[in-house]
Amino acid sequence: METTFAQHQPALVRYATRLLGDSERARDVVQDTFVRLMAQPPVAVDGHVVEWLFTVCRRRTLDVLRKEGRMKRFEEGQLERVHAEEARPGRAMEAGETHAQLLRLIDRLPANQQEVIRLKFQNGFSYKEISRITELSVGNVGFLIHTAVQRLRQEWAAAGE
Amino acid sequence: MNRISKDDPRVTAYALGELEGDELALVAAAVQADAELQAVVAEIRTTAGALEQALAGEPAPEVAAKAPAKKPAKKPGRLLAFPQLYYVIGGAAAACFTFLVVLQEPSAKQEARAPMASLVQDKQYVEMSLNAPKEAEEEVEASADAISLPAPRASAVAAMPQKSDVRGLAKKRQAAPAVKGEWLACEPAPVAPAFNTEDYSYQRDNDFVAVATEPLSTFSIDVDTASYANVRRFLNEGQRPPRDAVRVEELVNYFPYRYAAPTGKDVPVAAHLEVAEAPWAPAHRLVRIGLKAREVAEASRPSANLVFLLDVSGSMEDANKLPLVKQSMQLLVNRLRPDDRVAIVTYAGASGLALPSTPVSRASEILGALDRLTSGGSTNGAMGIQLAYDIAKANFVAGGVNRVILCTDGDFNVGTTSEGELVRLIEEKAKGGTFLTVLGFGMGNYKDGTLEKLADKGNGNYGYVDSAAEARRLLVEQAGGTLVTVAKDVKVQVEFNPARVAAYRLVGYENRLLRKEDFANDKIDAGDMGSGHTVTALYEVVPVGEGDAATLSGPGVEPLKYQRPAGSTIAASGSPELLSVKVRYKEPAGQESRRLEFPLVDRGATWALASEDFKFAASVAAFGMVLRESPHRGTATLVEVRRWAADGMAADAGGYRQEFLGLVDRAATVMR
Repeated sequence: METTFAQHQPALVRYATRLLGDSERARDVVQDTFVRLMAQPPVAVDGHVVEWLFTVCRRRTLDVLRKEGRMKRFEEGQLERVHAEEARPGRAMEAGETHAQLLRLIDRLPANQQEVIRLKFQNGFSYKEISRITELSVGNVGFLIHTAVQRLRQEWAAAGE
Repeated sequence: MNRISKDDPRVTAYALGELEGDELALVAAAVQADAELQAVVAEIRTTAGALEQALAGEPAPEVAAKAPAKKPAKKPGRLLAFPQLYYVIGGAAAACFTFLVVLQEPSAKQEARAPMASLVQDKQYVEMSLNAPKEAEEEVEASADAISLPAPRASAVAAMPQKSDVRGLAKKRQAAPAVKGEWLACEPAPVAPAFNTEDYSYQRDNDFVAVATEPLSTFSIDVDTASYANVRRFLNEGQRPPRDAVRVEELVNYFPYRYAAPTGKDVPVAAHLEVAEAPWAPAHRLVRIGLKAREVAEASRPSANLVFLLDVSGSMEDANKLPLVKQSMQLLVNRLRPDDRVAIVTYAGASGLALPSTPVSRASEILGALDRLTSGGSTNGAMGIQLAYDIAKANFVAGGVNRVILCTDGDFNVGTTSEGELVRLIEEKAKGGTFLTVLGFGMGNYKDGTLEKLADKGNGNYGYVDSAAEARRLLVEQAGGTLVTVAKDVKVQVEFNPARVAAYRLVGYENRLLRKEDFANDKIDAGDMGSGHTVTALYEVVPVGEGDAATLSGPGVEPLKYQRPAGSTIAASGSPELLSVKVRYKEPAGQESRRLEFPLVDRGATWALASEDFKFAASVAAFGMVLRESPHRGTATLVEVRRWAADGMAADAGGYRQEFLGLVDRAATVMR
């Protein structure tokens, strides 16, 4: 349990922060998610605990947004507003220039593409898992990832990398 | 054939390994037929790899608009505070939960007392035992009960912790020292640069363990033999093998022993125990545990769906690499039945399908395709493995032998490869019934540790091919064992009788040790046994009354003050048994383990009375200890080793024991 927490808490906070645009509330949501996890009989989550955590965390996040009447803003692409377009100072120093550039390109994708791209390539979920977490169809997930990867590929190539 | 546009989302899904069944077959065929699509797939994979790397290093999202001052910088201390609060809340919710000890994984070059940690670590975090009264969910929408997830994907998720935060084994090693209750957020350390040098994981010899402290010894079996062939290669080149390239259990298991096959129809494994004087320490006893797997007749084995995954990168050009790979695979094809199928996937800078899955009844096509392979480019093992598993899945034989056979010098050096990711993929596929056999070739660039790990995770076996003769041994004489698994996750637990045994030492198996509670835990992986395989393990045992305190506590550990000295009379159980060997295994498709138990009574046999198999195995172990300069080698020297081995030369089918004598002589020359 400790291990589960240590391994996934940061990733969940990161995920929820992106959705909520607020790291404090993201931490609350994630904490709540873990409390719920502890109430689960082990057999109910055994073997897919990570997917379970993300699924519950996402629903809790949407609940929070809904309660605050912010769903609409979220759907409009809240992420673009929360994130600055420009690379933040220091980023190029911590990651390679290539990586920084890719991250900038990712930040410019529509919010729904960003979310699936991160779930796929940052959290390592499969299309099916992402489909269950986001409640989109597998085909839809596939289309979003395809579109995003294609755009990133072209922009990346154009940027001379 | 339907042409597939390069803008088809299925191409992306295929490149990312997300397709299954008919769709996979369709797209794989289209990609194979279309060079442009192949290029697109390669490009998508490159992008995917870059995305993974970039996102792995992505800083936590910043919320610049809101209270920037409150935004904590990412620092280790951040994780410390939060779990405490969480425990308080958690404690209220849960009636009890069991903490699991976070095992330490040995750093590659540092210490190595916690072997199976990499296996264990990936899994254990899901194992919690919660007996919590279920709380009413106030919001139905968030109720977790509503979420039911299909089980088959479970393993993939279970094995993914390193993807989210702790990526790859290299970083995981950094994080490993996080002992229970103490959270350390480690900055990712740079992976050690891969120079063109051979790479072996450091292993320290097992020490003596006092029975009074720990009466149970648990390990996973290992049928690999790669170390022996590798040691032979070094010695034949006139070099002393690096210590860590010598894995004693793999030397011992290289040789066939005449253990009787199990008689019961439903028991796939039999154990044969023997005890006699330890030749290198006559006051000590040597216990031999010999396991023998059921033999499946060639004609009655299920048909095979094999995918040869061949490294054709530039580094494979040498005569003892690609040409030997081709020769080996040709030997294997000639050994297969007409109803078996073979596909060939190559990998270098770009991975490709050299031969779609073809029945062995058309063997000439397979042999022709092997013949046409040429080397060039650098290696991207990960992409090749993905493609190979895709092909294996598309041609999956239910209840059959589904296996990817990887031939490489193990130098995965291009692209997206993180070792942890690769291992995760292989582990996941093994759960789906596609196993992995790894054959190592060549020298100078040989990555022993990587290859062994891949085979371990893939429910597979691992051999090192240094010559056509070795290829014949692995792929012709032992084809059944290499291809057909009869028992998986085979674990051994030995319980020592404190009335008879003061201390014991497992000879070899340093990287196969398990915790005692792992024995009955079916989630913990272990080694597999193929048709007819034998596994031999040796314990050096200090009888009660023989041990001095220093031996019993192990070097560097002072004798305990308050514990009863292990040498003194302990309330005897009265049993005449020296020890009991418990074996757990699963049927190849099973999920639940079964348990066998075999007791052993010591009748005081001297060396002279020991069986020839026993003597030979002991001499090989002693050879390994001498090469490793083990602190426990006692009186063993190469001269003695040769003498002991000469006592055990009977039944030398294949002439392997004779060859061993030659190798001991060779070692004596090299090490002088």
